[in-house]
Amino acid sequence: MSGFFKTIDEVLRGRRTRKEDLAEGKIDVPIRTLVLAGLLLGGAYGIFMGLFATMRATNASYEQLLATILKVPLLFILTLVVTYPSLYVVSALFDSRLRHGATLRLLLMGVTANLALLAGLGPVTGFFTFSTESYPFMIILNVAFFIVSGLVGLGFLRTALNAVFEVKEEPRENPTDLSESSARESLRPRPKKLASLRVFTFWILIYGCVGAQMGWVLRPFIGTPGLPFELFRSERESNFFEAFFKAIGQLFV
Amino acid sequence: MISEYDGLLRAEGRYAVGRGRVPAAHLAVLLGVAGFLYGTGMGFFGGRPLQALYSGLKVPMLLMISTLVCLPSFFVLNTLLGLRDDFGASLRGVLAAQATVAASLMALLPIIVFIYISGSDYQYAVFFNGVLFAISTLAGQRTLSRHYEPLIRQDSRHNIGRWSWVILYVFVVIQLAWVLRPFVGFPNMSVSFFRAGAWSNAYVVLFRDVLGLGF
Repeated sequence: MSGFFKTIDEVLRGRRTRKEDLAEGKIDVPIRTLVLAGLLLGGAYGIFMGLFATMRATNASYEQLLATILKVPLLFILTLVVTYPSLYVVSALFDSRLRHGATLRLLLMGVTANLALLAGLGPVTGFFTFSTESYPFMIILNVAFFIVSGLVGLGFLRTALNAVFEVKEEPRENPTDLSESSARESLRPRPKKLASLRVFTFWILIYGCVGAQMGWVLRPFIGTPGLPFELFRSERESNFFEAFFKAIGQLFV
Repeated sequence: MISEYDGLLRAEGRYAVGRGRVPAAHLAVLLGVAGFLYGTGMGFFGGRPLQALYSGLKVPMLLMISTLVCLPSFFVLNTLLGLRDDFGASLRGVLAAQATVAASLMALLPIIVFIYISGSDYQYAVFFNGVLFAISTLAGQRTLSRHYEPLIRQDSRHNIGRWSWVILYVFVVIQLAWVLRPFVGFPNMSVSFFRAGAWSNAYVVLFRDVLGLGF
Protein backbone atom coordinates (compact mmCIF):
# COMPACT_ATOMS: atom_id res chain seq x y z
CA MET A 1 0.00 0.00 0.00
CA SER A 2 2.85 2.39 0.80
CA GLY A 3 4.18 1.64 -2.68
CA PHE A 4 0.85 2.78 -4.09
CA PHE A 5 0.95 6.12 -2.27
CA LYS A 6 4.60 6.59 -3.14
CA THR A 7 3.83 6.09 -6.82
CA ILE A 8 0.94 8.56 -6.75
CA ASP A 9 3.11 11.05 -4.88
CA GLU A 10 5.76 10.71 -7.56
CA VAL A 11 3.15 11.19 -10.29
CA LEU A 12 1.93 14.40 -8.68
CA ARG A 13 5.49 15.63 -8.22
CA GLY A 14 6.18 15.10 -11.90
CA ARG A 15 8.83 12.46 -11.27
CA ARG A 16 7.05 9.95 -13.48
CA THR A 17 6.84 12.43 -16.37
CA ARG A 18 10.49 13.38 -16.75
CA LYS A 19 11.45 15.01 -20.03
CA GLU A 20 13.92 12.30 -20.99
CA ASP A 21 11.39 9.51 -20.36
CA LEU A 22 8.64 11.28 -22.30
CA ALA A 23 11.03 11.93 -25.17
CA GLU A 24 11.43 8.15 -25.41
CA GLY A 25 7.67 7.68 -25.14
CA LYS A 26 8.12 5.94 -21.80
CA ILE A 27 5.69 6.17 -18.88
CA ASP A 28 5.97 3.29 -16.44
CA VAL A 29 3.09 3.73 -14.00
CA PRO A 30 0.61 0.82 -14.04
CA ILE A 31 -2.83 1.76 -15.38
CA ARG A 32 -4.44 -0.13 -12.48
CA THR A 33 -2.65 2.12 -9.96
CA LEU A 34 -3.80 5.28 -11.71
CA VAL A 35 -7.41 4.12 -11.98
CA LEU A 36 -7.44 3.16 -8.30
CA ALA A 37 -5.98 6.56 -7.38
CA GLY A 38 -8.67 8.26 -9.47
CA LEU A 39 -11.40 6.28 -7.74
CA LEU A 40 -10.05 7.04 -4.26
CA LEU A 41 -9.38 10.75 -4.82
CA GLY A 42 -12.66 11.30 -6.66
CA GLY A 43 -14.53 9.38 -3.97
CA ALA A 44 -12.89 11.56 -1.32
CA TYR A 45 -14.24 14.72 -2.95
CA GLY A 46 -17.57 12.97 -3.49
CA ILE A 47 -17.92 12.63 0.30
CA PHE A 48 -17.73 16.41 0.73
CA MET A 49 -19.87 17.15 -2.31
CA GLY A 50 -22.58 14.69 -1.28
CA LEU A 51 -22.77 16.00 2.30
CA PHE A 52 -25.13 18.78 1.23
CA ALA A 53 -27.86 16.24 0.48
CA THR A 54 -27.59 14.73 3.97
CA MET A 55 -27.91 18.10 5.69
CA ARG A 56 -31.03 19.42 4.01
CA ALA A 57 -33.78 20.40 6.44
CA THR A 58 -36.30 18.37 4.47
CA ASN A 59 -35.73 15.33 2.35
CA ALA A 60 -32.21 14.51 3.68
CA SER A 61 -30.75 11.78 1.51
CA TYR A 62 -27.89 9.44 2.39
CA GLU A 63 -28.44 7.61 -0.89
CA GLN A 64 -27.40 10.83 -2.65
CA LEU A 65 -24.17 10.88 -0.60
CA LEU A 66 -23.34 7.32 -1.64
CA ALA A 67 -24.25 8.05 -5.25
CA THR A 68 -22.03 11.17 -5.31
CA ILE A 69 -19.07 9.25 -3.84
CA LEU A 70 -19.33 6.90 -6.81
CA LYS A 71 -20.29 9.46 -9.41
CA VAL A 72 -17.40 11.93 -9.03
CA PRO A 73 -14.65 9.44 -9.97
CA LEU A 74 -16.95 7.84 -12.55
CA LEU A 75 -17.45 11.20 -14.22
CA PHE A 76 -13.73 11.43 -14.98
CA ILE A 77 -13.10 7.77 -15.75
CA LEU A 78 -16.15 7.38 -18.02
CA THR A 79 -15.32 10.60 -19.86
CA LEU A 80 -11.87 9.19 -20.53
CA VAL A 81 -13.35 5.86 -21.67
CA VAL A 82 -15.60 7.69 -24.13
CA THR A 83 -12.99 10.12 -25.42
CA TYR A 84 -9.81 8.04 -25.32
CA PRO A 85 -10.05 6.71 -28.89
CA SER A 86 -10.45 10.20 -30.35
CA LEU A 87 -7.77 11.65 -28.07
CA TYR A 88 -5.35 8.94 -29.17
CA VAL A 89 -6.15 9.50 -32.84
CA VAL A 90 -5.43 13.22 -32.49
CA SER A 91 -2.07 12.62 -30.83
CA ALA A 92 -1.12 9.94 -33.37
CA LEU A 93 -2.00 12.29 -36.24
CA PHE A 94 0.50 14.78 -34.87
CA ASP A 95 3.25 12.13 -34.57
CA SER A 96 3.23 11.82 -30.80
CA ARG A 97 6.05 9.68 -29.43
CA LEU A 98 3.63 8.17 -26.95
CA ARG A 99 2.17 4.86 -28.08
CA HIS A 100 -1.24 3.55 -27.15
CA GLY A 101 -0.58 2.49 -23.53
CA ALA A 102 1.63 5.47 -22.71
CA THR A 103 -0.96 7.95 -24.00
CA LEU A 104 -3.60 6.38 -21.76
CA ARG A 105 -1.21 6.52 -18.80
CA LEU A 106 -0.46 10.19 -19.43
CA LEU A 107 -4.16 11.04 -19.64
CA LEU A 108 -4.84 9.09 -16.45
CA MET A 109 -2.05 11.03 -14.76
CA GLY A 110 -3.76 14.27 -15.79
CA VAL A 111 -7.01 12.95 -14.27
CA THR A 112 -5.12 11.97 -11.10
CA ALA A 113 -3.63 15.47 -10.78
CA ASN A 114 -7.06 16.99 -11.35
CA LEU A 115 -8.75 14.76 -8.76
CA ALA A 116 -5.93 15.20 -6.23
CA LEU A 117 -6.48 18.96 -6.16
CA LEU A 118 -10.25 18.46 -6.09
CA ALA A 119 -9.83 16.15 -3.08
CA GLY A 120 -7.59 18.79 -1.50
CA LEU A 121 -10.39 21.36 -1.93
CA GLY A 122 -12.85 18.90 -0.38
CA PRO A 123 -12.55 20.30 3.17
CA VAL A 124 -13.43 23.78 1.84
CA THR A 125 -16.54 22.38 0.14
CA GLY A 126 -17.36 20.50 3.35
CA PHE A 127 -16.99 23.64 5.42
CA PHE A 128 -19.29 25.64 3.15
CA THR A 129 -21.78 22.78 3.11
CA PHE A 130 -22.05 22.94 6.90
CA SER A 131 -22.85 26.64 6.78
CA THR A 132 -24.88 27.06 3.59
CA GLU A 133 -28.48 26.41 2.75
CA SER A 134 -28.35 28.01 -0.68
CA TYR A 135 -28.40 25.37 -3.40
CA PRO A 136 -27.33 27.77 -6.21
CA PHE A 137 -24.30 28.80 -4.13
CA MET A 138 -23.24 25.18 -3.71
CA ILE A 139 -23.60 24.57 -7.45
CA ILE A 140 -21.42 27.57 -8.25
CA LEU A 141 -18.83 26.67 -5.60
CA ASN A 142 -18.56 23.09 -6.89
CA VAL A 143 -18.41 24.16 -10.53
CA ALA A 144 -15.71 26.69 -9.62
CA PHE A 145 -13.64 24.00 -7.85
CA PHE A 146 -14.09 21.60 -10.76
CA ILE A 147 -12.91 24.34 -13.14
CA VAL A 148 -9.89 25.28 -11.00
CA SER A 149 -8.77 21.69 -10.49
CA GLY A 150 -9.47 20.96 -14.15
CA LEU A 151 -7.19 23.82 -15.17
CA VAL A 152 -4.44 22.49 -12.94
CA GLY A 153 -4.88 19.02 -14.45
CA LEU A 154 -4.62 20.59 -17.89
CA GLY A 155 -1.47 22.43 -16.85
CA PHE A 156 0.03 19.07 -15.86
CA LEU A 157 -0.83 17.62 -19.29
CA ARG A 158 0.43 20.71 -21.12
CA THR A 159 3.84 20.47 -19.48
CA ALA A 160 4.05 16.76 -20.27
CA LEU A 161 2.94 17.23 -23.88
CA ASN A 162 5.58 19.91 -24.42
CA ALA A 163 8.19 17.40 -23.32
CA VAL A 164 6.71 14.72 -25.57
CA PHE A 165 6.85 16.93 -28.64
CA GLU A 166 10.10 18.72 -27.83
CA VAL A 167 12.10 15.91 -29.43
CA LYS A 168 14.91 17.05 -31.68
CA GLU A 169 14.30 15.87 -35.21
CA GLU A 170 17.28 14.16 -36.77
CA PRO A 171 17.72 14.87 -40.47
CA ARG A 172 16.74 11.85 -42.54
CA GLU A 173 19.68 9.57 -43.08
CA ASN A 174 18.71 8.35 -46.52
CA PRO A 175 16.47 10.87 -48.14
CA THR A 176 14.77 9.23 -51.10
CA ASP A 177 14.24 12.53 -52.85
CA LEU A 178 17.54 14.39 -53.23
CA SER A 179 16.21 17.55 -54.80
CA GLU A 180 17.56 20.68 -53.13
CA SER A 181 14.28 21.92 -51.72
CA SER A 182 13.31 18.63 -50.10
CA ALA A 183 16.79 18.24 -48.59
CA ARG A 184 16.44 21.67 -47.04
CA GLU A 185 12.98 20.65 -45.80
CA SER A 186 14.34 17.52 -44.12
CA LEU A 187 16.99 19.50 -42.23
CA ARG A 188 14.58 22.06 -40.91
CA PRO A 189 13.26 21.08 -37.45
CA ARG A 190 9.55 20.47 -37.55
CA PRO A 191 7.37 22.93 -35.64
CA LYS A 192 6.89 20.51 -32.77
CA LYS A 193 5.70 23.14 -30.30
CA LEU A 194 2.83 23.87 -32.62
CA ALA A 195 1.96 20.16 -32.75
CA SER A 196 1.98 20.04 -28.96
CA LEU A 197 -0.34 23.04 -28.77
CA ARG A 198 -2.70 21.59 -31.37
CA VAL A 199 -2.93 18.21 -29.66
CA PHE A 200 -3.52 19.97 -26.35
CA THR A 201 -6.25 22.19 -27.82
CA PHE A 202 -8.07 19.26 -29.42
CA TRP A 203 -7.79 17.28 -26.19
CA ILE A 204 -9.31 20.12 -24.15
CA LEU A 205 -12.16 20.58 -26.61
CA ILE A 206 -13.02 16.90 -26.87
CA TYR A 207 -12.54 15.98 -23.20
CA GLY A 208 -14.09 19.23 -21.92
CA CYS A 209 -17.27 19.02 -24.01
CA VAL A 210 -17.81 15.31 -23.34
CA GLY A 211 -16.93 15.77 -19.65
CA ALA A 212 -19.43 18.60 -19.18
CA GLN A 213 -22.18 16.60 -20.84
CA MET A 214 -21.17 13.44 -18.90
CA GLY A 215 -21.58 15.47 -15.72
CA TRP A 216 -25.01 16.48 -16.92
CA VAL A 217 -26.01 12.90 -17.69
CA LEU A 218 -24.74 11.61 -14.32
CA ARG A 219 -26.50 14.33 -12.32
CA PRO A 220 -27.66 14.88 -9.63
CA PHE A 221 -24.35 15.25 -7.77
CA ILE A 222 -25.52 17.69 -5.11
CA GLY A 223 -29.24 16.94 -5.14
CA THR A 224 -31.91 19.63 -5.61
CA PRO A 225 -33.61 20.32 -2.27
CA GLY A 226 -37.25 19.31 -2.43
CA LEU A 227 -36.79 16.64 -5.06
CA PRO A 228 -36.72 12.97 -4.04
CA PHE A 229 -33.50 11.01 -4.53
CA GLU A 230 -32.94 9.76 -8.04
CA LEU A 231 -29.83 7.92 -9.15
CA PHE A 232 -30.12 9.70 -12.48
CA ARG A 233 -32.51 12.47 -13.43
CA SER A 234 -35.33 11.15 -15.52
CA GLU A 235 -35.55 14.05 -17.98
CA ARG A 236 -32.81 14.25 -20.58
CA GLU A 237 -33.41 17.59 -22.26
CA SER A 238 -31.18 20.71 -21.99
CA ASN A 239 -27.47 20.60 -21.07
CA PHE A 240 -24.77 21.53 -18.59
CA PHE A 241 -24.08 25.02 -19.92
CA GLU A 242 -27.71 26.04 -19.78
CA ALA A 243 -27.97 24.92 -16.14
CA PHE A 244 -24.77 26.71 -15.08
CA PHE A 245 -25.82 30.04 -16.57
CA LYS A 246 -29.28 29.61 -15.06
CA ALA A 247 -27.69 29.23 -11.59
CA ILE A 248 -25.67 32.41 -12.15
CA GLY A 249 -28.85 34.14 -13.32
CA GLN A 250 -30.60 33.18 -10.09
CA LEU A 251 -27.84 34.91 -8.15
CA PHE A 252 -28.59 38.28 -9.72
CA VAL A 253 -32.33 38.18 -10.50
CA MET B 1 7.21 35.01 25.79
CA ILE B 2 7.75 38.54 24.49
CA SER B 3 11.06 37.46 22.96
CA GLU B 4 9.23 34.66 21.14
CA TYR B 5 6.84 37.19 19.58
CA ASP B 6 9.81 39.38 18.76
CA GLY B 7 11.48 36.47 17.01
CA LEU B 8 8.30 35.78 15.07
CA LEU B 9 7.91 39.38 13.91
CA ARG B 10 11.58 39.67 12.95
CA ALA B 11 11.71 36.16 11.48
CA GLU B 12 14.63 35.23 13.71
CA GLY B 13 15.67 32.19 15.69
CA ARG B 14 13.32 29.23 15.29
CA TYR B 15 11.00 31.43 13.20
CA ALA B 16 13.68 32.30 10.68
CA VAL B 17 13.04 32.07 6.97
CA GLY B 18 14.17 28.74 5.60
CA ARG B 19 13.62 25.06 5.31
CA GLY B 20 14.16 23.74 8.82
CA ARG B 21 11.57 21.93 10.90
CA VAL B 22 8.31 23.89 11.04
CA PRO B 23 7.81 25.10 14.64
CA ALA B 24 4.09 24.38 14.39
CA ALA B 25 3.49 23.86 18.12
CA HIS B 26 5.28 27.10 19.06
CA LEU B 27 3.39 29.03 16.40
CA ALA B 28 0.08 27.55 17.58
CA VAL B 29 0.81 28.67 21.14
CA LEU B 30 1.77 32.19 20.03
CA LEU B 31 -1.37 32.37 17.88
CA GLY B 32 -3.57 30.96 20.62
CA VAL B 33 -2.35 33.32 23.36
CA ALA B 34 -2.38 36.46 21.22
CA GLY B 35 -5.71 35.61 19.60
CA PHE B 36 -7.28 34.86 22.97
CA LEU B 37 -6.13 38.18 24.45
CA TYR B 38 -7.43 40.24 21.55
CA GLY B 39 -10.66 38.25 21.40
CA THR B 40 -11.27 38.80 25.10
CA GLY B 41 -10.85 42.55 24.65
CA MET B 42 -13.00 42.48 21.55
CA GLY B 43 -15.83 40.66 23.29
CA PHE B 44 -15.82 42.98 26.28
CA PHE B 45 -17.80 45.59 24.39
CA GLY B 46 -21.02 45.07 26.32
CA GLY B 47 -19.14 44.57 29.62
CA ARG B 48 -20.12 40.89 29.75
CA PRO B 49 -17.32 38.54 30.89
CA LEU B 50 -18.89 35.44 29.33
CA GLN B 51 -19.10 37.06 25.89
CA ALA B 52 -15.47 38.16 26.34
CA LEU B 53 -14.46 34.57 27.11
CA TYR B 54 -16.37 33.25 24.07
CA SER B 55 -14.76 35.81 21.77
CA GLY B 56 -11.38 35.02 23.30
CA LEU B 57 -11.83 31.40 22.27
CA LYS B 58 -13.25 32.24 18.87
CA VAL B 59 -10.48 34.46 17.51
CA PRO B 60 -7.81 31.70 17.65
CA MET B 61 -10.43 29.24 16.35
CA LEU B 62 -11.07 31.54 13.40
CA LEU B 63 -7.39 31.69 12.43
CA MET B 64 -6.65 28.02 13.08
CA ILE B 65 -9.69 26.36 11.51
CA SER B 66 -9.51 28.46 8.34
CA THR B 67 -5.84 27.52 8.01
CA LEU B 68 -6.57 23.82 8.49
CA VAL B 69 -9.40 23.87 5.96
CA CYS B 70 -7.18 25.44 3.29
CA LEU B 71 -3.99 23.42 3.94
CA PRO B 72 -4.88 20.21 2.02
CA SER B 73 -5.45 22.01 -1.28
CA PHE B 74 -2.36 24.18 -0.65
CA PHE B 75 -0.31 21.01 -0.22
CA VAL B 76 -1.65 19.39 -3.40
CA LEU B 77 -1.21 22.58 -5.41
CA ASN B 78 2.41 22.93 -4.29
CA THR B 79 3.02 19.31 -5.20
CA LEU B 80 1.49 19.76 -8.65
CA LEU B 81 3.50 22.91 -9.23
CA GLY B 82 6.64 20.87 -8.61
CA LEU B 83 7.37 22.74 -5.38
CA ARG B 84 7.07 19.90 -2.89
CA ASP B 85 10.73 20.08 -1.92
CA ASP B 86 10.08 23.64 -0.73
CA PHE B 87 6.81 22.82 1.01
CA GLY B 88 8.40 22.96 4.46
CA ALA B 89 9.55 26.51 3.77
CA SER B 90 6.14 27.51 2.36
CA LEU B 91 4.34 26.00 5.34
CA ARG B 92 6.68 27.85 7.70
CA GLY B 93 5.72 31.07 5.94
CA VAL B 94 1.98 30.42 6.01
CA LEU B 95 1.86 29.38 9.66
CA ALA B 96 4.16 32.21 10.73
CA ALA B 97 1.92 34.64 8.83
CA GLN B 98 -1.14 33.39 10.74
CA ALA B 99 0.68 33.77 14.04
CA THR B 100 1.73 37.26 12.96
CA VAL B 101 -1.92 38.19 12.35
CA ALA B 102 -2.69 37.17 15.95
CA ALA B 103 0.40 38.96 17.30
CA SER B 104 -0.62 42.15 15.48
CA LEU B 105 -4.14 41.89 16.83
CA MET B 106 -2.68 41.62 20.32
CA ALA B 107 -0.65 44.74 19.69
CA LEU B 108 -3.80 46.53 18.54
CA LEU B 109 -5.71 45.50 21.69
CA PRO B 110 -5.09 48.81 23.52
CA ILE B 111 -6.53 50.66 20.55
CA ILE B 112 -9.78 48.68 20.54
CA VAL B 113 -10.05 49.09 24.31
CA PHE B 114 -9.55 52.83 23.86
CA ILE B 115 -12.27 52.90 21.18
CA TYR B 116 -14.67 51.04 23.46
CA ILE B 117 -13.90 53.31 26.41
CA SER B 118 -14.36 56.42 24.33
CA GLY B 119 -17.99 55.38 23.95
CA SER B 120 -18.55 54.17 20.41
CA ASP B 121 -21.81 52.46 19.54
CA TYR B 122 -22.15 48.86 18.37
CA GLN B 123 -21.93 49.58 14.64
CA TYR B 124 -18.69 51.54 15.09
CA ALA B 125 -17.29 48.83 17.36
CA VAL B 126 -17.89 46.23 14.64
CA PHE B 127 -16.46 48.56 12.00
CA PHE B 128 -13.26 49.33 13.94
CA ASN B 129 -12.71 45.68 14.73
CA GLY B 130 -13.02 44.98 11.01
CA VAL B 131 -10.42 47.66 10.27
CA LEU B 132 -8.04 46.22 12.88
CA PHE B 133 -8.44 42.73 11.46
CA ALA B 134 -7.68 44.11 8.00
CA ILE B 135 -4.53 45.82 9.33
CA SER B 136 -3.43 42.62 11.06
CA THR B 137 -4.01 40.65 7.89
CA LEU B 138 -1.68 43.04 6.07
CA ALA B 139 0.88 42.51 8.83
CA GLY B 140 0.55 38.76 8.24
CA GLN B 141 1.23 39.39 4.56
CA ARG B 142 4.51 41.07 5.53
CA THR B 143 5.65 37.87 7.22
CA LEU B 144 4.39 35.79 4.30
CA SER B 145 6.38 37.98 1.88
CA ARG B 146 9.48 37.63 4.03
CA HIS B 147 9.26 33.85 3.71
CA TYR B 148 8.18 33.80 0.10
CA GLU B 149 10.66 36.33 -1.36
CA PRO B 150 13.62 33.92 -1.45
CA LEU B 151 11.35 31.12 -2.68
CA ILE B 152 10.00 33.26 -5.54
CA ARG B 153 13.54 34.37 -6.46
CA GLN B 154 14.47 30.71 -6.68
CA ASP B 155 11.35 29.64 -8.60
CA SER B 156 8.68 32.04 -9.86
CA ARG B 157 5.99 29.32 -9.56
CA HIS B 158 5.94 30.10 -5.84
CA ASN B 159 4.05 33.25 -6.82
CA ILE B 160 1.15 31.06 -7.94
CA GLY B 161 1.35 29.08 -4.69
CA ARG B 162 1.36 32.21 -2.57
CA TRP B 163 -1.52 33.99 -4.25
CA SER B 164 -3.61 30.82 -4.45
CA TRP B 165 -3.21 30.52 -0.70
CA VAL B 166 -4.19 34.14 -0.11
CA ILE B 167 -7.29 33.98 -2.32
CA LEU B 168 -8.57 30.68 -0.92
CA TYR B 169 -7.79 31.68 2.67
CA VAL B 170 -9.64 35.01 2.39
CA PHE B 171 -12.62 33.25 0.78
CA VAL B 172 -12.80 30.74 3.64
CA VAL B 173 -12.00 33.06 6.55
CA ILE B 174 -14.77 35.51 5.64
CA GLN B 175 -17.31 32.70 5.76
CA LEU B 176 -15.85 31.27 8.98
CA ALA B 177 -15.94 34.68 10.64
CA TRP B 178 -19.60 34.88 9.66
CA VAL B 179 -20.32 31.44 11.09
CA LEU B 180 -18.46 32.11 14.35
CA ARG B 181 -20.14 35.46 15.01
CA PRO B 182 -20.85 37.23 17.31
CA PHE B 183 -17.36 38.43 18.16
CA VAL B 184 -18.27 41.83 19.54
CA GLY B 185 -21.68 40.88 20.93
CA PHE B 186 -24.74 43.08 20.41
CA PRO B 187 -25.52 44.52 23.87
CA ASN B 188 -29.28 43.91 23.67
CA MET B 189 -28.94 40.28 22.70
CA SER B 190 -28.29 37.47 25.16
CA VAL B 191 -24.74 36.09 25.40
CA SER B 192 -24.18 33.07 23.18
CA PHE B 193 -21.28 31.21 21.63
CA PHE B 194 -22.98 31.08 18.23
CA ARG B 195 -25.69 33.43 17.10
CA ALA B 196 -29.04 31.76 16.40
CA GLY B 197 -29.14 31.03 12.68
CA ALA B 198 -25.38 31.52 12.43
CA TRP B 199 -25.05 28.59 10.05
CA SER B 200 -25.76 30.58 6.97
CA ASN B 201 -23.63 31.76 4.10
CA ALA B 202 -21.94 35.18 4.27
CA TYR B 203 -21.81 35.53 0.49
CA VAL B 204 -25.49 34.73 0.07
CA VAL B 205 -26.32 37.33 2.73
CA LEU B 206 -24.04 39.84 1.01
CA PHE B 207 -25.81 39.42 -2.31
CA ARG B 208 -29.32 39.19 -0.90
CA ASP B 209 -29.41 41.61 2.02
CA VAL B 210 -26.59 44.07 1.45
CA LEU B 211 -26.57 44.41 -2.31
CA GLY B 212 -30.29 43.75 -2.57
CA LEU B 213 -29.84 41.04 -5.19
CA GLY B 214 -31.99 37.93 -5.14
CA PHE B 215 -30.47 34.51 -4.53
